[in-house]
Amino acid sequence: MKRVGLESSLAIAEAVRLAGVDVVSAYPITPQTHIIERIAQMVADGDLNASYIPVESEHSAMSGCLGAAAMGVRTFTATAGQGLELMHEVLPVASAMRLPVVMAICNRALSSPLSIWGDHSDIMAARDSGWVQMFAENGQQAFDLTLCAFRIAEDVEVLLPTAINIDGFHLSHVIESVLIPEQGEVDKFLPELPRPYVLDPRKPLTMGDFATPELYIEAKKSQDVALRNSKKVILQAWQEFEGVFGRRYSPVETYRADGASVLLLTMGSFSEVAMEAIDRLRESGEKVGLIRLRLWRPFPFEEFRQVASQADLLVVLDRAVSFGGPGPVCSEVQAALYPLSKKPQVAGFIGGLGGRDITTEGFEDMIRNARKKADAGRLGEVEIIGVRE
Amino acid sequence: METLALYVPRLLEKKENFAPGHRACSGCGEALAVRMVMKALGKNVIVVMATGCMEIISTQLPYTSWEVPWIHTLFENTAAVASGVVAGREALTRKGKASSRTKVVAMAGDGATADIGVQALSGALERGHDFTYICFDNEAYMNTGIQRSSATPFGAATTTQPVGKISMGQNTWKKDMPAIAVAHNIPYVATASPSYPFDLMNKVKKARDIEGPAYLHILSVCPTGWRTPSDLSVRIGRLAVETGVFPLYEVENGKYTLNIDPPQLRSVEDYLKLQGRFKHLTPEMIKEIQEKVEAKYAELVEKVLFYDGF
Amino acid sequence: MSKLTEIRWHGRGGQGAVTSAEVMGLSAIEEGKFAQAFPSFGPERRGAPVLAFNRISDSEHIRMRSAVTQPDIVVVLDPGLLGIIDVTRGLKEGGVLIINSSKSLLDIKSEFEGPWTLAVVDATAIAMEVLKIPIVNTAMLGAMVKVTGVVKLESLAEPLGERFGKLAEKNIAACRRAYDEVSIAAQGAVSQRPEKTFGEVTWPSWQELLPGGVVTDAGNARSYRTGDWRSDRPIWDHDRCIKCGVCMLFCPEGCVEQNEQGYFEANYYYCKGCGICARECWTQAITMVEEAKA
Repeated sequence: MKRVGLESSLAIAEAVRLAGVDVVSAYPITPQTHIIERIAQMVADGDLNASYIPVESEHSAMSGCLGAAAMGVRTFTATAGQGLELMHEVLPVASAMRLPVVMAICNRALSSPLSIWGDHSDIMAARDSGWVQMFAENGQQAFDLTLCAFRIAEDVEVLLPTAINIDGFHLSHVIESVLIPEQGEVDKFLPELPRPYVLDPRKPLTMGDFATPELYIEAKKSQDVALRNSKKVILQAWQEFEGVFGRRYSPVETYRADGASVLLLTMGSFSEVAMEAIDRLRESGEKVGLIRLRLWRPFPFEEFRQVASQADLLVVLDRAVSFGGPGPVCSEVQAALYPLSKKPQVAGFIGGLGGRDITTEGFEDMIRNARKKADAGRLGEVEIIGVRE
Repeated sequence: METLALYVPRLLEKKENFAPGHRACSGCGEALAVRMVMKALGKNVIVVMATGCMEIISTQLPYTSWEVPWIHTLFENTAAVASGVVAGREALTRKGKASSRTKVVAMAGDGATADIGVQALSGALERGHDFTYICFDNEAYMNTGIQRSSATPFGAATTTQPVGKISMGQNTWKKDMPAIAVAHNIPYVATASPSYPFDLMNKVKKARDIEGPAYLHILSVCPTGWRTPSDLSVRIGRLAVETGVFPLYEVENGKYTLNIDPPQLRSVEDYLKLQGRFKHLTPEMIKEIQEKVEAKYAELVEKVLFYDGF
Repeated sequence: MSKLTEIRWHGRGGQGAVTSAEVMGLSAIEEGKFAQAFPSFGPERRGAPVLAFNRISDSEHIRMRSAVTQPDIVVVLDPGLLGIIDVTRGLKEGGVLIINSSKSLLDIKSEFEGPWTLAVVDATAIAMEVLKIPIVNTAMLGAMVKVTGVVKLESLAEPLGERFGKLAEKNIAACRRAYDEVSIAAQGAVSQRPEKTFGEVTWPSWQELLPGGVVTDAGNARSYRTGDWRSDRPIWDHDRCIKCGVCMLFCPEGCVEQNEQGYFEANYYYCKGCGICARECWTQAITMVEEAKA
């Protein structure tokens, strides 16, 4: 294991190399290009023995991954924003056909107006695509979770496509120190797993058939159960990861949440900024803490409820708008809390859209603002923050 | 004229790799073409299929008509999925886990090829993957109920370009997909028809054995959409060739060959008059079609002669 | 509550069962009634058995949208379906069963009598005489109106005119002839028919589906019978057959096989009766024979 200075995009490319990916099918889009450029270079240099398909669109990028994954080989792509939107049609097919594609998404805002900068609008629109979805907060996590994604997706009990979300620019384009393991350590964690159903002339099978109303719902139930059950494997994979590399991941991670009456909930790279805000508020004696939602799908109901139910007030930051509705994460956590008898009030905020920064002070303001609203009994509607009036 | 040997049973591969029990319409020219293609391909293939009639009629859960590995994902991405399957085969071959002789064959209708899937197809042909793409052209979106495509011929009535008080059906000329394939400078492009079975099967084998992309365009008579009696599917396919409406030719590394070259083309009317989709045509329109067919045919003959000159 | 009449039409894809239901629904609406007309929303192809439905109410908007499982009236357009589909399934006591058949009422009675009114009409003969094609949907409408009175005969005229344009007159004529010619038997006591099950499919549970719904039993469609779609069957005349095999070559089902004597025969489990083999046979050794007469 060595510590190197590496852009997060390149850390992901490094994970792809160490995972010995067989097929990469990708299309360039900002802010994701650094990942696939680096992989293309690795292939060109012979450092990664993979077939790289330079497709003509993101729709074809994901379609190419489907074809390769159906052959039973390790498959990777990366995209962002509009690219994920163009792929959208293919995403639920990957999960329904149980094809374990791994994808890095450098989360980016959606047009219009055109914005190449970060927020979570792209992945929230793909929330229901049936993929395992997780969020990284820094370069190390981007690297680690990419390795874990292959281990999870290809597990015979899972066989589901898996997405690692990293914030566009705020994470994708930042160089920081990352621990890169040796090939032997990676091989130990990530052996080649058997694949039961693949396209092979020696054992012909039919994939992607047509179902009448008599069978469609059975197919969907089976798919939903598979995604829910994947959590067991995810927990196991993260445990194995800790065993080999010493770093621990959980579906819901907290920061100074013990005894907190107010909890802030964030996803992605802004979580580390939020930690700074929590430190400051704790120093001034406030009982505040942080929840970082690492696993977005399957939604970690148990873990989330266990942590969130202790607080009086939960402050949720969404980095996407569900126009005319609540923030997508906020509505989700509210639904998760609703059946509990003891549950916090929830204050929903939307911010950090299209690359707009949220500073430590911004998070402190958000928490104070939420408290004020709660005290005044005005928690009903979501508020978009940091907007110029 | 292709001579049908008297001993067809001896020549024909017995094994049906496209199993009966499929739910194609009675007299389906496309199912017939698929059956012949599968006979020619043999077992060492992987089929990637677009959404469309052939997908719906052959893979209704829990049944499948396919005796070879088969995958369908979406409508417009067949060539892209095939690219991935080829890449996957390459990866497995590198590890000694698959044979490089396993051919990947993409199959799609005219809508999936000439309209919604043309981008993915162009990309895959340009990148030069080792695969065969077969377009089964029944000249409209038959699976959804006879809507026009860019491969629908001039004058044909469809449900989205119908004949009306002020309209006479399709008002554009059929998109020339084989020419678009040729423009990608791929090693092999050919047209075929199940009415000429051995020509068709020979072309399929040729495409299979060539390394790199090959494109086959097969005219598939659709009794339902063309409004023709189900027993005429083979006859109408033959008339398409005999009238010059659908010439059978090959383009090998840019070199054109006409495979069936009747001494004299029959009148297009012989072809048109059997089909309900053309029954509204005026003599002027038939004349216009005749002229266009002759001009296109002459263009093709010129290309053939040009290469013959070398 | 207003009386609700539910109708089930049995036909084959391309035979006009759906049109029958449409015309029936529109005729009822024409009379100021409330009606629904709908097909079975499936991917059935030309030749395959299909269903179409009506609901008719005298005075109320119809809210029921689920499948019709216990019809008051069943109309069978294709006699070939009688041996492969349980057309009386769910038919209510006191209901009506109308069959297109060239058989006499007496013959039909022996098989289809039951606690319902039974009627038979040779709609195919009428269609061939009047329309010159075997499309029986308009004739069956006439017969059905006569037997059930669910709408008036005159009410069919406008929807038929709309639907058939230039051919409307002939279709109305076919409709009238069937109206006049249908034979009706009084309601019987109990069904004489032996209990028959017709190719019931057992659907897998969600746990039984393989991941991604893959099917590992390659070519298992062979167990699916498409021979039921056939209204005509090819018959080989061995005196004319030169054993060339063109019939086998051009069969879209791949169901023409060579026997030990070298002759060819269709596997009727699959043969859809398209007639390509007969059309392409060099020596005209194959004739297409109506299934009911084969």
